[in-house]
Amino acid sequence: MIEILKQGWHTTIQDLGRLGSQSFGVPISGAMDLNAFQWANKLLNNNSSAACLEMTSKGPELKFHEPSFIAFTGAIMQAFLNSKPVKMYKPIEVKKGDVLKFSSVTLGCRTYMAILGGFQSEKVLGCRSQYKGVTLEDRIVKENLLLFNRNAFTQKGARVKTKTTDYKDVNLKVYQGPEYHLLNSHSQNEFKTKQFTISPSNNRMGYRLNEKILQQLPEIWTAPTLPGTVQLTPDGTLIILMRDAQVTGGYSRILQLSDNALNLLAQKSTKDVIKFELITL
Amino acid sequence: MNNKLPFTFFRMHPKVILLEWEQDPSTETLKELTHFKANILKYSMGVSQITLGYCSLLVQWKEDIINYSDAKKNLIALYSNLSINSTPAKTKHWTLPVCYEGEFALDLAHLSSELKLSKDTIIELHSKTIYTVYFIGFLPGFLYLDGLDSKLFFPRKKNPRLVIPKGAVAIGGKQTGIYPNESPGGWHIIGNTPISLFNTKNETPCFAKSGDTLSFYAVDEAEYQKIQCVNNPKAYLTKVK
Repeated sequence: MIEILKQGWHTTIQDLGRLGSQSFGVPISGAMDLNAFQWANKLLNNNSSAACLEMTSKGPELKFHEPSFIAFTGAIMQAFLNSKPVKMYKPIEVKKGDVLKFSSVTLGCRTYMAILGGFQSEKVLGCRSQYKGVTLEDRIVKENLLLFNRNAFTQKGARVKTKTTDYKDVNLKVYQGPEYHLLNSHSQNEFKTKQFTISPSNNRMGYRLNEKILQQLPEIWTAPTLPGTVQLTPDGTLIILMRDAQVTGGYSRILQLSDNALNLLAQKSTKDVIKFELITL
Repeated sequence: MNNKLPFTFFRMHPKVILLEWEQDPSTETLKELTHFKANILKYSMGVSQITLGYCSLLVQWKEDIINYSDAKKNLIALYSNLSINSTPAKTKHWTLPVCYEGEFALDLAHLSSELKLSKDTIIELHSKTIYTVYFIGFLPGFLYLDGLDSKLFFPRKKNPRLVIPKGAVAIGGKQTGIYPNESPGGWHIIGNTPISLFNTKNETPCFAKSGDTLSFYAVDEAEYQKIQCVNNPKAYLTKVK
């Protein structure tokens, strides 16, 4: 088990998400950057759905009470094991009594920490991803312990060649959304040429953008949405729905992010610039 | 039953096809959508899940759809054979207790003066209606209910409340709904139900489903407390249609 000395800025337990419960209005959730999440598990030969920590902006401070192996992927956030810097994208052995700390993120937004065998936290509707109103907590809290299976084993020296994403890339590949055709050519052109910036209102539910599209579209009959759906509100605001977004909405669905674009956006934050690159299916 | 309502296909994502029916929502469309949904889940290989809107179905596959035209053909065939393959699932009717009194009815007095209807009239209009559950969205366990009496239509608050208590029964625009959990919200609160709309400990976390119907009946605070202790939604299932 692991003791939480400090919670970090916003640290949650995530896995692949709660697929199959959307008919009850339950968001999919799951790791914001599924790409980085999956690498973290691969580095330890974990099951692809093993739960990891998603650490936003600044990681927690943790004390290990049992030995294990861990690995970090995603945003660049320097980790220190007993005050010694450790590398990302590489399995790291931890011993009983070791203390792990993090600096603030220097590139990207979310870092993933996998542990051998995955975190053994509360499972709700077949999934461990923390979400308010579904799991008991919506993030890790100091009073609780992080549990893992100390008897999990791996073939030692597991090495994976990693191809990391360029988090500075501003281009998001997107498909047309169901209501894209309602936009006039001027608005459509804006999506093709304009740069957009991420507003301070960005979290696991959605990212609002600063720039507006000045075309009023009627609200639609409430309809299904997906993580990565770009909505246009009646006042022209663009909202990109992320993993914890509600499963239906009444705003026009203008664009749909590709999976890679959604993972890349999860590594961006306030003031970061993005551009949309329309591709066809 | 006429199961030939036309629908369109939209490829939203490599794993997703959106089916849209171009008409206003109706219980007839809803019946077809839920029936179609059940059949897709039963007969289509590789479909991971389907979400419902008023006039649409979002069908998600586990993997990228390799042959789009085949997937389309299969869906068309399934739709035209709906009544041959199966009969629509039975729907249920739920009668939920609501306390429209005191602390529970935060906005009832305000609504009463704005709508120029007595509190009792509002309660009567609100509870006598049989509502249809269209789908669940917005929050886990939040039912989109259709059928609110037009005399009770009232615009949402300009400034949403930061905290609406769990179980709050509210009116917003042309809709009424129950907040399954504490959340922010802009609807006007007229009462509260002691029955949990979302409980992850149950096999199906929300007892109601698309196509079910629901009505309310007024209880006093003492009765509310009693029901809250038991909190068994099944006790409020009145009939299976």
